[in-house]
Amino acid sequence: MFPFVYEFHWTPGHIIFLGVFFSVFGMIIVTLINAMLRSRKDFRFKKAGAILWKTDFEDLPKFARACRHEFTGEAEHRVCDNGFNCGTCEAHQTFLAQQKAEINSDISQSDIFGFTMPPDRMYHRGHTWVKKMEHGAGSDTDDGTYIVGIDDFGNRLIGKPERVSLSEIGSRIEANTAGFIFEKAGAHLRILSPISGEVIEHGGNDKEWYLKVKADDSTNGMAHLLRGAEIRPWITREMERLQMSLATSKIGFTLADGGELLPDMNRHYPNVDWDAVWGEMFLEA
Amino acid sequence: MHNLRSWNVENNTSKGLENLIMETISEKKSQYGMMIDLDRCNGCGACAVACAVENNVPPAYQQTNTRTGITWMRVFEIPNDEQFPQSDSVFVPMFCQQCENETPCVTVCPQNAVEIDPLTGIVGQIPQRCLGCRYCMAACPYHARYFNWRDPKWTDGMKLQLNPDVAPRMRGVVEKCNFCHGRLHTARQKAAANGSEKIDPNDYVPACVESCPNKAIIFGDLEDGSSEISQAIKSKNTFRFLSRLGTEPKVYFNSGRAWVREMAEQALTRTKKEEIYG
Amino acid sequence: MDNKLKTRPIVAREAGLMPRGVERTSFTNFLFWILPWTALLCFGVYAIYLCLADGLWHTNMDNRFAFGLWIFLDLTVIALGAGAFFTGFLLYILRRKELKAVINSAVVIGLICYSGAVSILMVDVGQPLRAWFTFWHPNTHSMLTEVTFCLTCYLTVLIIEYIPIVLKNRQLRQIPKFLVFEFELHKLMPVLAGIGTFLSFFHQGSLGGLFGVLRGRPFAFREELGIWPSTFFLFVLSAAAAGPSFVMLTTWLVQKISKKQLVKPEVMQFLGKVSGILLIFYIMLKSVDTLIWINSTSPSEGFPAFEFYARKSFGTWILLTEIIAFGLVPALMLLNKKLRARPVFLYGAGLLVCCGIMLNRFVMTIQTLALPTLPFDEFMSYIPSWEEAAAFLAVIAYGVVLYSFTFRYATLFPQERELQQIQRG
Repeated sequence: MFPFVYEFHWTPGHIIFLGVFFSVFGMIIVTLINAMLRSRKDFRFKKAGAILWKTDFEDLPKFARACRHEFTGEAEHRVCDNGFNCGTCEAHQTFLAQQKAEINSDISQSDIFGFTMPPDRMYHRGHTWVKKMEHGAGSDTDDGTYIVGIDDFGNRLIGKPERVSLSEIGSRIEANTAGFIFEKAGAHLRILSPISGEVIEHGGNDKEWYLKVKADDSTNGMAHLLRGAEIRPWITREMERLQMSLATSKIGFTLADGGELLPDMNRHYPNVDWDAVWGEMFLEA
Repeated sequence: MHNLRSWNVENNTSKGLENLIMETISEKKSQYGMMIDLDRCNGCGACAVACAVENNVPPAYQQTNTRTGITWMRVFEIPNDEQFPQSDSVFVPMFCQQCENETPCVTVCPQNAVEIDPLTGIVGQIPQRCLGCRYCMAACPYHARYFNWRDPKWTDGMKLQLNPDVAPRMRGVVEKCNFCHGRLHTARQKAAANGSEKIDPNDYVPACVESCPNKAIIFGDLEDGSSEISQAIKSKNTFRFLSRLGTEPKVYFNSGRAWVREMAEQALTRTKKEEIYG
Repeated sequence: MDNKLKTRPIVAREAGLMPRGVERTSFTNFLFWILPWTALLCFGVYAIYLCLADGLWHTNMDNRFAFGLWIFLDLTVIALGAGAFFTGFLLYILRRKELKAVINSAVVIGLICYSGAVSILMVDVGQPLRAWFTFWHPNTHSMLTEVTFCLTCYLTVLIIEYIPIVLKNRQLRQIPKFLVFEFELHKLMPVLAGIGTFLSFFHQGSLGGLFGVLRGRPFAFREELGIWPSTFFLFVLSAAAAGPSFVMLTTWLVQKISKKQLVKPEVMQFLGKVSGILLIFYIMLKSVDTLIWINSTSPSEGFPAFEFYARKSFGTWILLTEIIAFGLVPALMLLNKKLRARPVFLYGAGLLVCCGIMLNRFVMTIQTLALPTLPFDEFMSYIPSWEEAAAFLAVIAYGVVLYSFTFRYATLFPQERELQQIQRG
């Protein structure tokens, strides 16, 4: 085995055999150490959140990963493999360049299938919205402050959460990582933050928003958010997803009969595996 | 000890007590071999008993049978399956045949616990290094290797009779005939003490050879053309079992009876008993 | 909170460990399933304790049958566990993405097979505490050295490949350190798959070489190609053929037991096709090898080959069964697209392939040792003792328990959730 071990021979057989063995063994160890070092690096550069999202995203079914340009009919069938990060998506730029003006013509409507989805804000695929902070009259400075809340679809799906944990004031949040956590009926649900920035104020309770965020200056910081004409087809798709997700549960009730979603659905259908449904709809694996 | 010797041959620079002893021993290559005159063997089994006593083979447990017992030297009786008056039988002592070429057990051992000593040609087993995987047993065509299925146990009285020159083996290792290595070692020590470079052939006689009342076993150096065994194996009645496998065993057999020699050459044909009952 | 809801908690503590959105049987049911296997495992562990503490005389092996049921088990499970390396090879090296659906399951099966084999090997040897001697004083000419080296390395690889599966458990993934490590480790999977393929090639082969080099056993001895006997290559090929079949078969079994569809039929058919292609090559080479052995290798050693089959229990039927019934027949079934599409033929053929590999390994160990070599030797048979059988069953029980826990608490079949939705919706 080793030259100092009694009876060791330097024969070609030994050299080849042991050489191969130690190379393989070394490669295994190096791979393991490599993974550890890379993990450490990820933590140092605070990539953990992005990795969590990436992992979650990869575990999503294809149907949930449909491209926003599929909603608007610009693309026939397109599955996102970029973690919904349209800002870094080349195809998205191409689609935007080709987009016709009339696509955003009729966007005043805020009622979609009974959901209130005002067009004055942008929506994240994980059912949160971002709205530019409206400052009082006389203040026309744009200081990049946004409010973040959960949309009507999400609201009705969860109902009133039993407990909400918000990201601490002064802390940084990244888009596509947990912005706040809802606890309800034993389920522990992370709601994805739509934007990156610094948390400057907490909302909740009687306010319609949960976080006030001073967004990063990045020009692409909002590129991934849905807006205007995209909202309606997106919600249509989300209804389909919800229906599929509900159908998985044993009670087998569907939304096929149409109508609106009742607020606080889980109280009305206690037999549904809400944990699974919520996880599915809020893009958590 | 084989290892020590071969190692010393290659590394003459290293000095140690073993080295001092070893350096006095001739590095002339020997090829120890054996020949058994089957016509002289009457199957008394004295060789098997002497072997077990010499080599500290533990007494068998009550539950031990011929398939699990340790019998370095085992005597088989082989009938010729003829009717009287042609009926005849031969006794074949079977033990490690000390294969010289591509020794099956040596090549398969994963941790060099079986080695062939280049200076004596003896296939040695190092029980302290043996893993007990039994691959060598599967490899041996003579089924001459034995595994310690149980803890070796001697009664208090028997312990007094143990041979101090041979280390007893522990449970879970393989052992086999090594041409009484304890005796070789003693002969070497004696030669070294006398300042001789070569051991006296009379000092190195395995226990089975010594014990045979009919002097059916001849032992000696096959390299030495003048030795008794070198002359004896020249007989046309000499044969080796499974020599066609090409492993060049160093144990020869001799019989004047043609059917015995034919039997030894037989391949896998079923025995008459199997033909009838199988 | 003022309006405290009266709904019962949906996520009980135990269910919180399971992957989201998949259906698993109740904990009570799971206990009823696990307990008998655990009992069997404990029984086997007791038998193993007897063999380790009291000696191997508890087995029915003897000086002639130095290898028995356990070595047969080792050879078989390692061949069947080849699915792990071959699926990994197809997925990570040849980029057959559809195999993502079964890779986790294949890795777990591989881990079970290899760890089971190594554990039983440690009971089988007389001095298990000396196992490290092989690393200290390796005999590079011995096939067993190669096997020991590769098995040690490959078991390490399998454990490393198993880690991400565990870390992706729903609760464990909440710990960022675990998830990030899992993510980084997963990115390096192709490296591990490559190493696994390399190691598997050598030890599957060496296991075949183990018997092919036995010059003293003309029944097993084969001519050398390069530095390895032909059985080296036959074992590699047969293991690669049986591995995917075993993955397919276990997946089918899990589907039956859990009453769920876990994998798309196309994936199963692809596994069957891979198995069929490799099997037909194997059968061709095996036939050529057998013919060379019958006509040249064996007679040149003075043993007419057909005399090996003169014994009642091991007649030529065993050779024909191995090559035709367990080889050619399933290979043709798997190669025919129409037949492959029908579950009866697909899984039937898979079963035949696995039986074939078992029979081959049985013949290589048991028949080799049962046949005499000396002219006055007798044909011998051997029946395992209850301790050997119990240890054998313990490995199976261990596999079932480990697999069941992994299936319950980790994601073995990523398609399960999607298929469940399609089925219901």
